[in-house]
Amino acid sequence: MWRLVSSFDDEARLGETWRAATPFPHLVFDDFVPVEVLPELLAVLEEEPVDRFEGDIFAFEASRPVPRTAELLQLRDSFAETLAGPLSRITDKMLRRADMRAFAYRPGHFLLPHSDHEEGVGRALAYAYYVPSPEPPLGGELELFTCTLEGREVVRTESALLIEPRSNRLVVFDVSDVSLHQVREVLGGLRVSLAGWFYP
Amino acid sequence: MSARESWTATPMPAVVVPHALGEGLAAEARARLERAGYTRYALLDRGSYDEVKAVGEAELLEALAGVAGEITGRSLVVAESRVLRLLPGDYVLLRHDRVHEGRPVELVLDLSPAVVPGAELHYRHRGQVFFTVPSAPGSLSLVERGPTVLCNHTYVSKLHAGASVVRLVVLLRE
Repeated sequence: MWRLVSSFDDEARLGETWRAATPFPHLVFDDFVPVEVLPELLAVLEEEPVDRFEGDIFAFEASRPVPRTAELLQLRDSFAETLAGPLSRITDKMLRRADMRAFAYRPGHFLLPHSDHEEGVGRALAYAYYVPSPEPPLGGELELFTCTLEGREVVRTESALLIEPRSNRLVVFDVSDVSLHQVREVLGGLRVSLAGWFYP
Repeated sequence: MSARESWTATPMPAVVVPHALGEGLAAEARARLERAGYTRYALLDRGSYDEVKAVGEAELLEALAGVAGEITGRSLVVAESRVLRLLPGDYVLLRHDRVHEGRPVELVLDLSPAVVPGAELHYRHRGQVFFTVPSAPGSLSLVERGPTVLCNHTYVSKLHAGASVVRLVVLLRE
């Protein structure tokens, strides 16, 4: 299912792009999956049940943390197997496995600013892959923030970059105390994604 | 069931009193707050809102402490007060709240000009929501705070253009 696009050929250049990216290391890959395999991917997602999740920082529909169908489990494992090696070399982080959930953001759904970093959980990289939507979303951008620190305390946050949830786009970004990001509220349409983290 | 009975009916005392303040008085209070001037808070991993820290509403605060005293059966005085205004896209997260020592009572008076769907206060005990205060202009809520209770103001959707949620938040102690 997952095949690396040609842009992965030059890992040294990607490593430089990763390190130079602001406000914190990230990479964006467009046309990530060959168009001919997209129907197969969509078929897997159609079979995976999703529930509504709501907390103080989020409201969305998502599959459970561990996929319920064998097909999504296989999709997750092949994603990790395909990408862990190249991303380890590009980011200089040891990566072995990934988790994966399917997300559906409908109008009014959001994920407010947070860093993903949790002591002891081991999240090394975060990723989001935007699946073709029957009704492309209005809003739903991934927004990255610059954090100003005094000691270990965040004293200022500023919007730095908006990444559009374009179909067949993969975004990979660093997880740290200052990797503040959010999914802006979806105002129309449907934002479908596969997302999770890579672990050592 | 009276507000007093509702207050004592659960192990986590909390109650909403509808129509506690008339629309005219709320509009006057909003105008005074506007003149006092809001300050923007925007540490976005904690909250996004406008705030008036020095609430110059002595008469209103005294009256509210009296109402709270009647409902809770406790002799309460104002320990802290502030006004929050949430516009579309605003929120106050749990991590921006703090736990309180003792058993103070938090009173929130909804001064908003109109109902804003989904704009709620969520009170949580050990992370689980045990009490929800809906958007209801003129209503007053009372919740007993303590070391296990935290509160968040839910996200105000941008789908409600022009919405404005104005809350007078008062901490009352014996």
